[in-house]
Amino acid sequence: MLCIALLGLLQLPPIQAAERIESDHVVITWLAPEQFATGNTTLGIHFEPDPGWHVYWRNPGDSGAAPRFSFKTENIEIGETRWPYPARLPVAHLVNLGYEKDVAYLFDAQVADAQVGNNGNVHIEADLEWLVCKEECIPGFGLLTLDRPVAAAGEQWSQAAQATLQRFDARIPQSASQSPWKVTGAHWSAADSALRVQVEPQVEGIDLDTIEAPEAFPLDGNWVDPHAPKVERSDNGFEYRFVTLPGMTASATTGLVIAADGMAWEFPEIPVAQGALNQGSGEGVSFWILLISAIIGGAILNLMPCVFPVLSIKLFSLIQTPGQGVAQSKQRLHEGLLYTAGVLSTFFALGAVFLALRAGGAAIGWGFQLQSPLVVFFLIVLFWLIALAFLGSFEIGHRLMQWAGGSQSSSSFMTGVLAVFVAAPCTGPFMGAALGAAATLPAAYAMAIFLGLGLGLALPFLILTASPALSSRLPKPGAWMERLRQFFAFPLFATVLWLVWVLAQLTGQQAWLVSGIALLLLAFALWLGQTGSKLWKLLAWILALVAIVWAGNTLNRGFGEQPGVAVDSEWAGYNAENIAAARVEGRAVFIDFTAAWCITCQVNKKVVLDTDAANAIFSEHDVLRIRADWTRYDPVITEALSVLGRNSVPVYAFYPADGGAVQVLPQILSLDMIRELVP
Amino acid sequence: MKTIKTLLRGVATLALALPLFANAAAVPGKAAPDFSVNDAEGKTHTLADYKGDWLVLEWFNKDCPYVKKHYGSNNMQSLQEKYTDQDVKWLTIISSAQGKQGYLTAEEAVKEAKNHKLASSAPFLLDTDGKMGKAYDAKTTPHIFIINPEGVVVYAGAIDDNDSANPAVLADSKNYASAALDEALAGKPVSTPVSRPYGCTIKY
Repeated sequence: MLCIALLGLLQLPPIQAAERIESDHVVITWLAPEQFATGNTTLGIHFEPDPGWHVYWRNPGDSGAAPRFSFKTENIEIGETRWPYPARLPVAHLVNLGYEKDVAYLFDAQVADAQVGNNGNVHIEADLEWLVCKEECIPGFGLLTLDRPVAAAGEQWSQAAQATLQRFDARIPQSASQSPWKVTGAHWSAADSALRVQVEPQVEGIDLDTIEAPEAFPLDGNWVDPHAPKVERSDNGFEYRFVTLPGMTASATTGLVIAADGMAWEFPEIPVAQGALNQGSGEGVSFWILLISAIIGGAILNLMPCVFPVLSIKLFSLIQTPGQGVAQSKQRLHEGLLYTAGVLSTFFALGAVFLALRAGGAAIGWGFQLQSPLVVFFLIVLFWLIALAFLGSFEIGHRLMQWAGGSQSSSSFMTGVLAVFVAAPCTGPFMGAALGAAATLPAAYAMAIFLGLGLGLALPFLILTASPALSSRLPKPGAWMERLRQFFAFPLFATVLWLVWVLAQLTGQQAWLVSGIALLLLAFALWLGQTGSKLWKLLAWILALVAIVWAGNTLNRGFGEQPGVAVDSEWAGYNAENIAAARVEGRAVFIDFTAAWCITCQVNKKVVLDTDAANAIFSEHDVLRIRADWTRYDPVITEALSVLGRNSVPVYAFYPADGGAVQVLPQILSLDMIRELVP
Repeated sequence: MKTIKTLLRGVATLALALPLFANAAAVPGKAAPDFSVNDAEGKTHTLADYKGDWLVLEWFNKDCPYVKKHYGSNNMQSLQEKYTDQDVKWLTIISSAQGKQGYLTAEEAVKEAKNHKLASSAPFLLDTDGKMGKAYDAKTTPHIFIINPEGVVVYAGAIDDNDSANPAVLADSKNYASAALDEALAGKPVSTPVSRPYGCTIKY
């Protein structure tokens, strides 16, 4: 026994790999996966100073110094340091910019193919220099090493490391284009060595008294004093007055990080004027115009092919409202209000999820619920059942009909919920700008935009139910209703077909088979359940549940494929570097932001973009054609959309060959529009 | 009522502006603030004493890692030697208050000056009440000010452009202080008259 123990001791590596540094007043560790996968990832170096001590931001402020990182790596490439936004730390008469609790400095990294060198392991040596201070400062030097396997099975993180990483990732400044704030001018005056910066909300009409001015941190510590600027309300926003280093004249540009609500945005190059205040060129869109276009956009959604059949169910129930005269009108209005409540609360819930994800640092866009295979599968099953019920294929359909289309109160509410979910992929032309703004507005205003969309969606139905004059003109119930209801089963079947196709785009071609089997089993279960016997009914329920759970589970896991919208020779996938390179060469670029679940996108593709005529125009003028597929969540494309002020598809962007400004085309294309791009 | 309010506002503005005026004192292009401080041997130094001389002021704290970087490597002493040889006067000032890091009694200061092979024009100036440091708005150790024979500040800021605490970076750092002195002594305008000082906060 002793021998074995000794042997064990002897086999210890001679030098202990320092994956953790415990130095004076600070502990430094990695934030890294337990196991790497090939491709892009994010790493962090986590500093935990003792209570009362702090470490520094990239601009450390009056004294102190930012940590330095120098990497030696194998099988991995490490990018620039990404700095979480700091806090102002007063130290005696000075101000430091840094972190008093813990902080993780983050790095984008790219893992090379596991087969290359180093036995498929990632190896990193990080040569660190840091300064940890209370009032006195202690510099530290250390070598942090990391050795982890790369495996095809995918990246694996410990929960704690991932949580820490996410906590600081949310604090990394995003690009200025995503900011709800804009910097409209910066002006330096020699008389008082003061830099005045105008910061305004991206959207006009916001009541600034209800909003706290965001914090602003100067990137340039050599010129701008780190003390908190004096902030004053200006006409359209806030004016920040920073002190600049005495004796120094104005720089041509300066940089700020602006932080609010736990998020931050970086404005790296703000032109600094001397003399008259310079004005930003971008005119803000009034908040009220956005709200109104959201309401109009919502109303237009009623006409979308995926919404109309669902609403038709509601209309039937309205026709059949029992009673006459005042009682009937009252009942109808009651239903209209409930439907509106269903729509609004769903928009509210989606808006809340949207804002929560945004606050968490995730860049997401509208239609995001259709980027989840489970949600799509749920809609497939739902539409399949409703369509079968419309055809009269099953008797227990009463219950479902009551749920989805009956005249009970809960059903009106549920129809509202359903309408929102199916309307999402059909973002109308008016919704694009409104939703794009919602992505960058302060929370309360973003929510107002969401509710505006909901109000618009609910409005036609609400008006119909609220006006006895209008609703009395509804046709009388009769045998024709049965026939029409059966007819409406077919648009719903078409919707099912379309959703299965979306699912296949999301998870892989096997989705056809899996969802097809699930639907087959459901239909069979319905047939079983039609017999009188309780046992058969029970079996039918079990079969239906097993089918749904199995298929949902299988689809949610995916099939390991990486399908996407087919990229053929004419259309290249989205790649920012290629686009930039083409623009440098003076080549025009056309970008088609699309998604499988976006019907307008598919129509435009078939009718305009993928036609011989369009191809001829593009080829003749040597236009680089890019297809940015957003069917699944893709942060790069989400970011590219937000640069254009959008977060829904379709978006068609054209960069002319002469390097002129980007043109964003309407959401419904025509061949003439393509022709006019390249006269 | 209104008059009283206006008056109060005026007083408040003045009170806020006062430190600003004080700060504006040690600014390149402007007259250097006056001072009167005893050195470790008890001799008093004032700005007027140095009228007609080029003068360098250097803030010091023996326990500050950045000061150690420049003294441990002999970088600071060789600068002091090089320029005092050219008749530039060089004063090294300790503004640490009693009980704070870097504070030295006169006796200790004499000893430290020897230990550090200090090559300034006087042993350490002991600005224990921080009056001189605050008049110059000296923020860090080291913080360098260069004053011309007319008593005008020509440089204020860091010793060099690398705020690492590692002495190894000295070889590749651009020394602002010596660049400014070389230019100034040659009668040329100083190309970098201001920089952000780096180092430890002065322990007033």
